[in-house]
Amino acid sequence: MADRKAELERKKARLEQMRRERKEKELSKTRNVGDDSKTSVKSSGSDASGAEPDDILREFGISPAPEGSPATPKKAAAQSQAVKEVEVPTSVSHTTPRKVRLSVAKVNETSIPPRENVSYSKETQTIIADPVDKDARGPWDYYDDDNDLDFIENLEGSSSHAHQFRGHGHSHGHGHTHKMPHVEMVAPATTSEEQNKEHKKPVPELSEEEKKQILMSEGFQKFFDHSSRIVERALAEEVDIFADYSGKDSGGKDDEAMAGERLKVNRDFYDDKWSKHRIITSLDWSAQHPELLLSSYGSNEDATNVPDGVALIWNIKYKKDTPEYVFHCQSPVMSSCFAKFHPNLVLGGTYSGQIVLWDNRVNKRTPVQRTPLSASAHTHPVYCITVVGTQNAHNLISVSNDGKLCSWSLDMLSQPQDSMELQHKQSKSVAATCSSFLSGDANNFIVGSEECLVYSASRHGSKAGINEAYDAHQGPITAIDTHRVPGQIDFSPYFLSSSFDWTVKLWSIKEQKYLCSFEDNSDYVSDVQWSPTNPALFSSVDIMGRLDLWHLNHETEVPTASVVVDTNVALNKLRWHQTGHHIGVGDDMGRIYIYDVAENIANPKADEWSKFVRTLQEMKQQATEREEDSTLLGSAAPIR
Amino acid sequence: MDDFQSGEETAFVVDEVTNIIKEAVEGSIGGNAYQHNKVNQWTSSVVEQCLNQLTKLSKPFKYIVTCVIMQKNGAGLHTASSCYWDNQTDGSCTVRWENKTMYCIVSVFGLAI
Repeated sequence: MADRKAELERKKARLEQMRRERKEKELSKTRNVGDDSKTSVKSSGSDASGAEPDDILREFGISPAPEGSPATPKKAAAQSQAVKEVEVPTSVSHTTPRKVRLSVAKVNETSIPPRENVSYSKETQTIIADPVDKDARGPWDYYDDDNDLDFIENLEGSSSHAHQFRGHGHSHGHGHTHKMPHVEMVAPATTSEEQNKEHKKPVPELSEEEKKQILMSEGFQKFFDHSSRIVERALAEEVDIFADYSGKDSGGKDDEAMAGERLKVNRDFYDDKWSKHRIITSLDWSAQHPELLLSSYGSNEDATNVPDGVALIWNIKYKKDTPEYVFHCQSPVMSSCFAKFHPNLVLGGTYSGQIVLWDNRVNKRTPVQRTPLSASAHTHPVYCITVVGTQNAHNLISVSNDGKLCSWSLDMLSQPQDSMELQHKQSKSVAATCSSFLSGDANNFIVGSEECLVYSASRHGSKAGINEAYDAHQGPITAIDTHRVPGQIDFSPYFLSSSFDWTVKLWSIKEQKYLCSFEDNSDYVSDVQWSPTNPALFSSVDIMGRLDLWHLNHETEVPTASVVVDTNVALNKLRWHQTGHHIGVGDDMGRIYIYDVAENIANPKADEWSKFVRTLQEMKQQATEREEDSTLLGSAAPIR
Repeated sequence: MDDFQSGEETAFVVDEVTNIIKEAVEGSIGGNAYQHNKVNQWTSSVVEQCLNQLTKLSKPFKYIVTCVIMQKNGAGLHTASSCYWDNQTDGSCTVRWENKTMYCIVSVFGLAI
């Protein structure tokens, strides 16, 4: 306890000594400072002697100053002491070395995330008509050294200035080394046409295969078929601007004077590809579309790759000279007709015995249906086909050259509904060459044969088969036609027959002997047909190219009108138009002539029927006289 | 014992400093919207206030105060800092403050003397 006190007192004494020493040092310093301050104060006081308040102030200032001056040293000393005192403990504290351990602190991170910009954008793309020009430049490309040249070349149009610019461009292009916007003379304005030329890219060429594919596609075929018809009609149309309705040019219609006008060629139908060198084997007018004429053709001996059988449909309404429809098959078509109750179907009987069915709705030229080539159907050429019956109950009747008659349903040509052998006495088959059903009768018909005989036959009933034979011709029968003009008097029993014996004979089915024989022709008569409108009118053609018009109420010995088509051709077939104003005539070279019949002849007068009755009676009388003559001739001496 | 005592006296107290910073920022830019011509004043005042308050603590510390004011424009901002010091005695504190139009980030680093 005492030691500690003693030590503490020693330390205090030391501290006091140190303090005194420092004080003395500082006093000495501060005295100097104080003397300096006194002297300065006095000097300042002597200077400002004038101002009393200043003196007083100075005195106060001075008075406290000297007080202050001794005080300030004290203060200063005190301060310094204090500082020292402060310093001492700090220095004391500083004397002990502090352990400093340094290390890396954790990283402070601050992050503010960017705002998510929800943007909605809707884009539309226009259809690029022309592909974008490959050489189109973006705005940044102009600064590129390498592209300078191309840019300049693009500027140039097809103008002559282009060449000058080329020169400029080259020099400028090479000169540029730094990437700066290229400044140059403005190119002369090019018109939009020139620009279009530049920018228009060539239409991509289709390869041959692609072209063929398109051409073969069904859609294209349909379109082409449809539109080519329309264009053909439009192109062929001519309008007669000289039509004079007052009739001054033509003068008075006199029967005698207008003899030559009774039969006038309207037009002809001929197709170089399909009908050349082919004999026309049948003609038929459409019932639903009176302007359509169906013609069937035999084979073309000159050509080899073409199909043997052709059927064409012509249109007289339009002036175009190509067929409306072309059908063909592999065997020569011997007979053809429109399916009466089906406006789209065309039937053909061929040389091979096959009956073919064409449909103009499908884009096919070959038959859509065929009968089988078997013994159940026909095996000989089918020379006669007709559609008989009514809309709801109709059949196709076909007679072939071996005397077989088949009846078919148009829906099913795979087998006949009914078949019959036409045999006349002693099972002798009839070599039928032509046939004609009686008007309005689906059962009874007339058949002409190669044996110069004409038969009447029936399909059903007790007398099915051949009934009567009419023997008068001396050559094979080429055509039969039954009377079918409707009127108050029915002339349906009467029929005409034409044959190779240069004659046309008028018969009644009730009479064994013919009524009248027309012998004006000097060669084979190939076809004969009654007029559909005039009961006393019929027409015939022969193979010398002659078309005759017989008006029985006027003249029975010679034809009322006659015209030679062409001396070199043989007319094979003839067909009256339903109106009775036109006759279609086909020859053996593939040409069809359409004749206009003068109206005064074609149209029956009101008394035509009664006159015809009288004519027929006269004929009958003559016929009986003839008979008597012949029998008398046969038996006794002639009456003279 | 000595260390703990010294820690109390001479250690960087984060919570205390955080409060100081918050008050300084609130005081300077409290309810204001971003204005480009005033932002200079705001950053200066924030820093000065922070520093004054910190020095009033009379702690034996060296202080470094930084203030960043960023307008809210949708941009992102990322900062990071790291220090090499005496982890026992030194420390830092970052305060992120925001209102509708701007962000304010104040960092205080205190290094014991």
